Amino acid sequence: MNVIRDSMEEIRASKELKRNTMEYLRNQQRYYRARMVRRYVLAAACICLLLLGGGYTLYARPVSYISIDVNPSIELGINCFGRVVEADAYNRDGNVILMQVPLKNVPYLKAISRLLGDESYSGYLTEDSRVFITVISERWETILEEIRADELAGRYGAQTYTSDLTCREEAHQYRMSFGKYRACLELSKYDESVTVEECHGMSMSEIEDRIETCKGHGNGSRGEGGHRRRNRGRGCQNDGSYEDYEDYGNDEYDEYDEYYDGEGHEGHHRHGNSP
Amino acid sequence: MKSEEDLNRVMETYADMVRRICFLHLKNKYDTEDVFQNVYLKYLLYDKPFASGEHEKAWFARVAINACTDHLRYISRRKWVPLDVIEEESGVLDDTYSEVLEAVLSLPEKYRNVIYLHYYEEYPAVEIARILRKKENTVYSWLSRARELLRARLGGEWA
Repeated sequence: MNVIRDSMEEIRASKELKRNTMEYLRNQQRYYRARMVRRYVLAAACICLLLLGGGYTLYARPVSYISIDVNPSIELGINCFGRVVEADAYNRDGNVILMQVPLKNVPYLKAISRLLGDESYSGYLTEDSRVFITVISERWETILEEIRADELAGRYGAQTYTSDLTCREEAHQYRMSFGKYRACLELSKYDESVTVEECHGMSMSEIEDRIETCKGHGNGSRGEGGHRRRNRGRGCQNDGSYEDYEDYGNDEYDEYDEYYDGEGHEGHHRHGNSP
Repeated sequence: MKSEEDLNRVMETYADMVRRICFLHLKNKYDTEDVFQNVYLKYLLYDKPFASGEHEKAWFARVAINACTDHLRYISRRKWVPLDVIEEESGVLDDTYSEVLEAVLSLPEKYRNVIYLHYYEEYPAVEIARILRKKENTVYSWLSRARELLRARLGGEWA
């Protein structure tokens, strides 16, 4: 009955058409699969690049700083993996040493040992000189413990201190390591006539000797002036990172209590290995 | 991406239908082959599942009709089929069928689609409306006018 149906019944896809189409589809399948693989490879390469870039950024970013001061002042930037990623010198002697002693990309304890054990550096470690190691870190306790346990640091009687990032920024404005700057600030508490420029020309031992001398005078300039320096305006402001020094509960730190003014602290503190 | 087995299956199942839809719209075997392959390429790249065999068949019908329309737009040729092509395409048919086919192919494109889907594939108007994405009443209206045109050309006995 259906003439239209009957008229179209003979219209069929030829075998040739089907065969050609299947061949065409196979080619297209290969093309699209290859394109998909290329896209996956590209995406994987992008992810690898991002991971590598992110990993390198993470590796290269210092999260802690260690200042090693004798006369040469050297600052180390430590990444989150405990490796040295920055090494800066703050005087000519330091620059010479940095050129001779490779410190980067090694664990910080190894870097300190390598530095103290190097011939070019040990020349500065005379009987009169002393090693001052100052740490800025959120995990300063661990770092200080490890440094104190270090054989070479112990042999040279390294004195350890902590500081903060504000102090470091201020120190760099004076082209000085934050370890030496901390000592300058401490000296300025006893002798307010001393300037940072004056400290520039002094070795760490000289600064420490003057501090000891001022202490030895009883009240030092404080006694004469009849006041206690609060270090306002010159001292490092606390950045909130290490503000719980009063909680140490260690008599060793009692001598510093007088520097607290109730609103904060001086931004640095001496820890152990006292001479 | 579809498997070789799946491609073989749909090739055997829908090739004739796609071929007939191409025949209704296109003028020569080269265009037909182009559109035919294009329809199957779309299937190869189509990654959504079909709810049923009927759904899959309706998808092929709709994609084939759209592919023909797009191809005609693309080549911007005449939208009627010359007789020599009909003769070439329907050489195996007797004169009666040639006359019917010629009458169907002389219909406007939209009428050709509804006539084919209704009389050959036996889709009801509601399904044709879904495939062509038109209102059901529009399909009824097109079917009615197409029948009138065929009756005028073939006489009252054709259907």
